[in-house]
Amino acid sequence: MANMKIKAKEKDGIVKVKAKLTHEMMTYAAAQKKGREANFITHVVAKVDEKIIYELSSSQFISKDPILKFKFHGKKGEVLEITWTDMSGKKVAESKKIK
Amino acid sequence: MNRRKFLTLSVVTALSLPIAALATDYRMEKPTAWTAHTVDDAIKALYGDVKLVQSDAIILKMPKLASNGGAVPIGIKTDIKAKSVSLFQNANPESAVAVWSVPEDGIIDYGFKIKLKGGDNKSIKVTVIVEGLDGVFYTKSASVQVSSTTCEG
Repeated sequence: MANMKIKAKEKDGIVKVKAKLTHEMMTYAAAQKKGREANFITHVVAKVDEKIIYELSSSQFISKDPILKFKFHGKKGEVLEITWTDMSGKKVAESKKIK
Repeated sequence: MNRRKFLTLSVVTALSLPIAALATDYRMEKPTAWTAHTVDDAIKALYGDVKLVQSDAIILKMPKLASNGGAVPIGIKTDIKAKSVSLFQNANPESAVAVWSVPEDGIIDYGFKIKLKGGDNKSIKVTVIVEGLDGVFYTKSASVQVSSTTCEG
């Protein structure tokens, strides 16, 4: 599913990641106004080779279409896999080779 | 495979399993922390009654003035060896924004944008807490003013 854009680049053993997750991140307040259910990303995990390198438990207050930036120790050529889960239980995963 | 080899293998597997399961979903584990309405309550619900130590080793990067409350850029950086990092604010109805669980050998250099309910030129306090591996809770705060009122995202 192409609702995640990942950029991962290695320099001196450190991989810089920029990931854009497409999600409306509806807060409780906004949902009430629009008469809809609140829904937002609650959990994001990034893994390389089944090893967790980034983990975020998030709330409704992260901006719409969140862009997450982080770094980790890694190598070029490895595959980074990011998975997010939202309130409705929807799970989306996307992988990207580190450049 | 002889018996000894098998035993060693099973011990290794048993040892490596908990490491893989080290990940913590703080929403599952501490549900009350996410519904707390004040920063103090949220911290208490997340970590318990802990003493916070002000630390300059934490770099909290954010603007002094934000024009759009729907996306206030936040950067958190520290060299402290930590177990978890969390972010709170005192403008929105609920206080907790995010909790990272830091993996072993993880680099703490996070960036993202958050929603802050602004208006009335009031000053909003954003607090970061770093739960160190040494058991000390480090904290750092910064203030921001949000000019337009939006919490819609």
